Amino acid sequence: MLTAVPLCDGHDSAITAVNLELIRHGVEVVYLGFHRSVADIVRAAVQEDVAAVGISSYNGGHIEFFREVAAGLKASGRPEIGLFGGGGGTITPEDAERMHAEGTDRIFLAGASFDDMTTYVRERYQRTLALPERIEVREPAGLARLISCLESGADIPPPSRGPAKVVGITGPGGAGKTTLIDELTRQYLASHPGHRVAILSHDPSTLHQGALLGDRATMVYAQDDRVFLRSMATRGRQGGLSPATEPVLAWLSSAEAGFDLVLVETVGIGQEALPFPDVMVDRRILVMNTDYGARLQLQKIAMLEAADVVAANKQDRPGSEAAAMEIRRHLDALAAGKPLIRTVASRHEDAGVAALLDYLERS
Amino acid sequence: MSTLKDITEAVRRFNDSVEERVAAVRVDRIKGDEVMAQWQAIRKTVEVVETPTGLKLPRLALPELDEAGAVVRFLHGEGLPGVFPYVSSAYPELYLDPLAGPRSEEPTRLFAGLGLAEDTNERFHLLTKNQRSHRMSTAFDGPTLYGMDSDEPGVFGKIGEGGVAIDTVEDMEKLYAGFDLTAASTSVSMTINGPAPTILAMFVAAAKRRFGTDAQAKLRGTVQADILKEVQAQNEVLFPVEDSLRFLLDMCVHCVERMPRWYPVSISGYHISQAGATPVQQAAFTLSNGFAYVEMLRARGLEVDTFAPRLSFFLDCSLDVEFVALARVCRKLWAIGMRDVFGATERGQSFKLHTQTSGRSLVSAEFKNNLTRTALELLLACLNGTNSCHSNSADEPFTTPTEEYARLASHAQSILLEESGLFRHTMNLLAGSPGMKQVERAVEQAILAEFETIDRLGGVLEAMEQRYQRSSIQAAGHRYERQILEGARPVIGVNRYWNDDPPPAPVLVRISDERKRQQVERLGDFKRRNAAVAPAALERLTRVVREGGNVFAELIETVECCSLGQVTEALQDTVGRFRPLV
Repeated sequence: MLTAVPLCDGHDSAITAVNLELIRHGVEVVYLGFHRSVADIVRAAVQEDVAAVGISSYNGGHIEFFREVAAGLKASGRPEIGLFGGGGGTITPEDAERMHAEGTDRIFLAGASFDDMTTYVRERYQRTLALPERIEVREPAGLARLISCLESGADIPPPSRGPAKVVGITGPGGAGKTTLIDELTRQYLASHPGHRVAILSHDPSTLHQGALLGDRATMVYAQDDRVFLRSMATRGRQGGLSPATEPVLAWLSSAEAGFDLVLVETVGIGQEALPFPDVMVDRRILVMNTDYGARLQLQKIAMLEAADVVAANKQDRPGSEAAAMEIRRHLDALAAGKPLIRTVASRHEDAGVAALLDYLERS
Repeated sequence: MSTLKDITEAVRRFNDSVEERVAAVRVDRIKGDEVMAQWQAIRKTVEVVETPTGLKLPRLALPELDEAGAVVRFLHGEGLPGVFPYVSSAYPELYLDPLAGPRSEEPTRLFAGLGLAEDTNERFHLLTKNQRSHRMSTAFDGPTLYGMDSDEPGVFGKIGEGGVAIDTVEDMEKLYAGFDLTAASTSVSMTINGPAPTILAMFVAAAKRRFGTDAQAKLRGTVQADILKEVQAQNEVLFPVEDSLRFLLDMCVHCVERMPRWYPVSISGYHISQAGATPVQQAAFTLSNGFAYVEMLRARGLEVDTFAPRLSFFLDCSLDVEFVALARVCRKLWAIGMRDVFGATERGQSFKLHTQTSGRSLVSAEFKNNLTRTALELLLACLNGTNSCHSNSADEPFTTPTEEYARLASHAQSILLEESGLFRHTMNLLAGSPGMKQVERAVEQAILAEFETIDRLGGVLEAMEQRYQRSSIQAAGHRYERQILEGARPVIGVNRYWNDDPPPAPVLVRISDERKRQQVERLGDFKRRNAAVAPAALERLTRVVREGGNVFAELIETVECCSLGQVTEALQDTVGRFRPLV
């Protein structure tokens, strides 16, 4: 399921409550966030290969907005993706009828319960996946469906290994991995006209097997037609990746998919060493934040050892200098000369992120 | 930085010191006698007023105390209105009859915003027709709140819905046409945050066009401009947090230096609460955001007393019991923090509060019940001693208020404050009652516990970055919704006593496509007329951003020839866009 709040709409409290309910019922929800355009929603729905899109609209303009989303899904070759939504009292029963006629499956009017909604979603959008006979992995829709099949256990080896550089990004929760990826992507797109980027982003599944996949909401610059962004839930696997990560990465780095840069982000990790086996990625970035250095423990040293480059992020924070120095000391003891790059990923055009990108391209 | 920890300690120290003074006057006979003499003197100053039925009542209700310790506990714990720690009121007087004389405050605020600038202007004229002073509260439409132009892709359906569409300085001129913005009896408030500096710059530029270049020193009003609560709850953030804060602080510095009557930021818990927060979370996050602004403004080199009197607050009032005492606790905590931690003098210690009844408490089912809900919330807000109020219209769950319900909402306040005798005679009717005291204590403890949590996370900005406030608000919002569904939170007409008859078709205010097209056309006209000069103005603006000058001062020039969307885009190209925390 993909959920989102339209451009210029007020708040997202309703949709975040709906997200929590859906997750509780075992649904994997990709949350695109608020203030999102029709183009962003359609692109995300196709790339994530969702069964349906849920939109929470509270600020008027819903008739036009839902109509455009339905048209956009159709134009991108995925007319079968469901579309439902709600808007409390701002959507009248007459509006809802008109929206239904114009391509929205269902509007939940004021007073609808969570149970109505989750039951509807589970019954209406249950699907079985079928891999098309010909896979167009150059096309976002084709690639997205292939990934869904790999996630459900299909064994389809990629025909080749392309020239894409595959970069694994890991680090503890809160270190700023998602922001770093978005800024890397922004700078890469700006300096490489015509190149294409793939991002594979992981979030944990809950015990109910639902998951909130929320990285898209933060990656505002990755919402670009030259970027293919796919969110994956861990589905019970430990270590910050999904059981399907390896075959999916192999496909993303194939010549057929045609990407130049592939970035894979793990779930925030704690005490473990880097989760990427050698075959998966070309370079490993460990992202650490400032207060991590000062509390560095032995376990984390394994992570330092396994990374090719360490990004000490949030260098605008007090104490970041000392933290970076401490990480540097540990690095020197383990592997002298291993690069440590200080970044402020949240800053526009950050020089540290540029240096990291430069390292990735040169190494 | 451990400001919140310092404040928590200061509050505990204050509470302890009150008890120490109580003990001291109990053992020292001479001191005790002095206190009792002081108490008698205070009682004598209280004016006696006569009610329409001929009953004589004290204007200020004071407890019957015949022991010095109890007097000290009252004077230092509750205090007199307008006296530290300001528990009962920020000012010595409250809620006088608006027709009674010049020293009275009119708490009613007239909120409007729909369609195009002319439509809203018409509504303002209608609302202020019989009012002595013109206090206009402005709501903006979605595209304006997100700093976008009406001609950008995907926004057409939102133009003028739920608020007024403002794209240019010319729209701003039309919005307040016919009102003397330099008059002492006029004040304007603008509910806008992300693009607040650009919108206020348009307001200043429009005022200069109409009233001459020295008009800005006379402008009176408030712009919400609270970017912290946007990041935590409401989402209308255009630039990275650090840059958003910089533009805001530039605006505050300019207002402090050049616009002596302007309140440059209204620290808002309303949206925090509407996004799901509990009353305690609302108060704790809002107060802590307020203290964070104080720290940041001081870091910009401003003395506390130059800006603290111009900070104001905005909370909601709903039906949970906490609301009976929430503002009372907020006034106390703010006063202690400002005095003991920031060294503010009296003017900077008072917590000036605007309250709005809770939109979230209103439901579409049997929506006329919303009139009752709002009236009760108004009562709670006034028992708290709010300084001004906005009451929601009963039809808000499904539309921009229609004239009928907007008028009913405004009259609810007049009925409470003028027609009823609840506040006209004795201004602090239930202040200090045992029940209220108990709620106050529980609320105070809970807010201090939140302060400690935020402090442990590294302070307001750090906790925000770790999305502490946001996830707390979301979790509370989810719990609230589940409580309604499961019936643990009664909502009449929804989970109790519901009516199965189909509801009557509501009257909706919607903006016609023709009106929307008109806005797009005149924006196009503005852009064409300024096409030759706009690029250079934007270039000057971005240079000021890069070179660290005061962006707000430059914006007042920029908006002369550039639209809101053009400004937003230029600034985003320079500092980047906000990456939401979800």
